[in-house]
Amino acid sequence: MNAQHTDRVVVTKNVTKEYKDNGVPVRAVQGIDLEIGRGEFTAIVGPSGSGKTTFLNVISGLDKATDGQVWLAGKQLSEMSGRELSDFRRDHIGFIFQAYNLIPVLTVTENVEYIMLLQGVHPGERRRRVSKILGELGLEGVENRFPTQLSGGQQQRVAVARAIVSEPALVLADEPTANLDSQTAIDLIDRMRELNESHGVTFIFSTHDTKIMERARRLIALKDGRIDTDEVRS
Amino acid sequence: MITLKIAFRNIFRQKRRTLLTVLTMFGGFTLCSFSIGWMDGSYNYIIDMFTRYQLGHIQIHNRGYIDRPSLYDTIDDYESVASTVERIPGVTRTSPRLYSAGLVSVGEKSAIARIIGIDPRQENAATLFDKKIVGGQTFASPGTVAREAVIGKGLAKRIDASPGDDIVVVSQGADGSIANDVYTIAGIIETGDPAGDQTALYLELGEAQELLVLDGRIHEIAVVADDLGGVRRLASRLEDGLADPGLAVEPWQVFAKSFYDAMMADKAGGWVMLLVIVFVVAIGVLNTVLMNVLERSREYGLLRAVGTRPRQIFWLVITEVCIMAVVSAAVGCIAGWAINYGLSIKGIPMPMEFTYGGMEFSHAFTEVNTRSFVIPIVVVILSAVLVSTFPALRAARTAPAEAMRTR
Repeated sequence: MNAQHTDRVVVTKNVTKEYKDNGVPVRAVQGIDLEIGRGEFTAIVGPSGSGKTTFLNVISGLDKATDGQVWLAGKQLSEMSGRELSDFRRDHIGFIFQAYNLIPVLTVTENVEYIMLLQGVHPGERRRRVSKILGELGLEGVENRFPTQLSGGQQQRVAVARAIVSEPALVLADEPTANLDSQTAIDLIDRMRELNESHGVTFIFSTHDTKIMERARRLIALKDGRIDTDEVRS
Repeated sequence: MITLKIAFRNIFRQKRRTLLTVLTMFGGFTLCSFSIGWMDGSYNYIIDMFTRYQLGHIQIHNRGYIDRPSLYDTIDDYESVASTVERIPGVTRTSPRLYSAGLVSVGEKSAIARIIGIDPRQENAATLFDKKIVGGQTFASPGTVAREAVIGKGLAKRIDASPGDDIVVVSQGADGSIANDVYTIAGIIETGDPAGDQTALYLELGEAQELLVLDGRIHEIAVVADDLGGVRRLASRLEDGLADPGLAVEPWQVFAKSFYDAMMADKAGGWVMLLVIVFVVAIGVLNTVLMNVLERSREYGLLRAVGTRPRQIFWLVITEVCIMAVVSAAVGCIAGWAINYGLSIKGIPMPMEFTYGGMEFSHAFTEVNTRSFVIPIVVVILSAVLVSTFPALRAARTAPAEAMRTR
């Protein structure tokens, strides 16, 4: 990666992703060139099937690009082995998924500290960070509950806490508000924005919720796997 | 640690399925333990019957006698040898024996016979000789010269002999003379070895030595051990204790090699049953573990997405199976012990009682031994872990993006 990419968290060059759906080739992402800088709060929008989730999967290393290159936090993903990718995701990316996706057998605290456990963070430091982030996200009092004992909004806040607690370079959120009512969704996005401002964490999230789009600082619209518009707001 | 925690909690998520898996492994364990206990109990019972009550667990001869028996190849100071042997821990009894061949006749009928000189008191104590008499009685006054003989059931039939008949014995003395004498048949014996009973003629040891001009000499010392399982080790201790290179101390596995081989071949059949049990356990475990893995593929995708290494997911699945296998084995140990212990005392009644070699076989007995725990533990845990390798690898290789798309 050249020097110009060092202040960029995500850089993609001509990224294409093709997969087969029932034997029929589908080109979900077609030659996307994109740069996302540190501390950005970016929404990727577009109708269903526009390639939002596939693009997020490719830039996070969850899926491999059929063509083109992806640099994430200065590293080219295509050059990494499976294990290196696992470690890279663990150390540099926080994930928030549409369906909450918490580990059902772990409590709120255990879910939030899971990635730090994988990273080998000292127990004292883990406890400190978990307690701080749960406080910031208004999750005091539910630390020892299991995911099934929480509301949808609480579960998604736990997912946000898990994504951000290890201080990753990038947080990717795939339709994080899709399963929430509109007020809870707005609250969640506001919390994410606060974290973006206070911690300087880069957020990229996909959505087709207009209320959420309004809160993004940069809006990238995808259409048929291509960038249709890329708008930066003041 | 987190892997263990997740694995442990996962076990309680699908309680019914976990119970089914544990029951499959527990059932396999208990069946395996019982099979081994029964197999060992039955075979060891038969082996013990034939060795303890007939051949002796260990035999001592002059070296080379077993391969080329000779009238002249005798143990000369046998009382001193027997006394040394009896002092060694693990020896229950000894019994001296003297062997030769001869011609026997009762009335008009005659047959070739194997002359066996025994000390009735020692033989009774060592191999329950007197309990095998099926007609007449044993030597009337053991240790005294009464000119009595006990003959095998088969020999009695061949020469039409009955207790009370006179039997003429002709053989060759060690000094080259013709050895001949007349004895009264005191009893008919059935030792459980029909071939041997076709020719067996038992004489009191002193009288046999006198007939064959082998005063104070014998060919064999039969040794009965406290424990069948420790016979080989005892034989080696006896050899060391005797420290006589001219004497061969051989366990029953050596001097009754064909019997030993037959038992081992028969025992090998029992392992087929164990293989069937392993197969059943393996299929049961594979079924439930694979079902779990397929159901949780989204969860494995999540774990992979947030940075869990494939190896950690592999061990997560294996750890779950191991926990269930260890619990099954622990409960199985208690059940296996209880069944084998109970049946080693009460026995399993046989459909038909029968008498063989003077011993009554009415029950088959199990045995509690280390093998009946160690083998099932290894078999159940290993087979469970082995069959779980495939689902565990599948879980470890979960493609996160694909799994996360699953609804």
